[in-house]
Amino acid sequence: MLIDKQNITRFIPQRFPFVMIDELVKADESGFESSFKIDDDNLFLNEGILSESSLVENIAQTCAAGFGYVNSLKGEGEGQLGFIGAVSRLSVEKLPATGATISTKIEVLSTFDAIHLIQGTASSEGEKLVECQMKIVIA
Amino acid sequence: MNREEIISTTKRFLSEEFEVDENTILPDNNLQKTLDLDSLDYVDLVVVIEENLGFKPTADDFKAVDTFDDFYNLVEQKLAELA
Repeated sequence: MLIDKQNITRFIPQRFPFVMIDELVKADESGFESSFKIDDDNLFLNEGILSESSLVENIAQTCAAGFGYVNSLKGEGEGQLGFIGAVSRLSVEKLPATGATISTKIEVLSTFDAIHLIQGTASSEGEKLVECQMKIVIA
Repeated sequence: MNREEIISTTKRFLSEEFEVDENTILPDNNLQKTLDLDSLDYVDLVVVIEENLGFKPTADDFKAVDTFDDFYNLVEQKLAELA
């Protein structure tokens, strides 16, 4: 693990109750991995099931933490402001329930200037939940 | 790949990716306006160039590209560097 739950907000701009990742597990120039346990006080639960939009947010926050961590290794500061420029090829397979742990993998497909095209996949217990491509702009 | 092959190859994948008529891709036409590219679209342009031509242009490479003719010059130069 690279960043634990206590330190994750050093690398992302979101604060409770909008934090949707617990730990950054892996990060290098080619991609990132995070984990997130769904507690029963999660704001995005509907009758015990996490919403699609929060899974997309989980992918975006994994990117924020990953880019923040990688850039911090280059001395560029820990938390950098970023924006979702576009979401495409979104596919929702299954929604997770309270108590599940989400494992999210990001592959950086291409970079042009400050714009990154990524492929994100969120899974739980080996089952794919959601995948999409995103354009992330780092300010 | 000679100039004619560059033109026909790039016409094919650019018209497909950005959904424009191949006949609008003319040497003197402005690349950004013809393909209706906003800043986010450039990352898609980089992906299709890498997939079809085997090199990855940078933001600096596009500073000298206004027209499709400029773009063909860039492709020629990059392919020569790869050879």
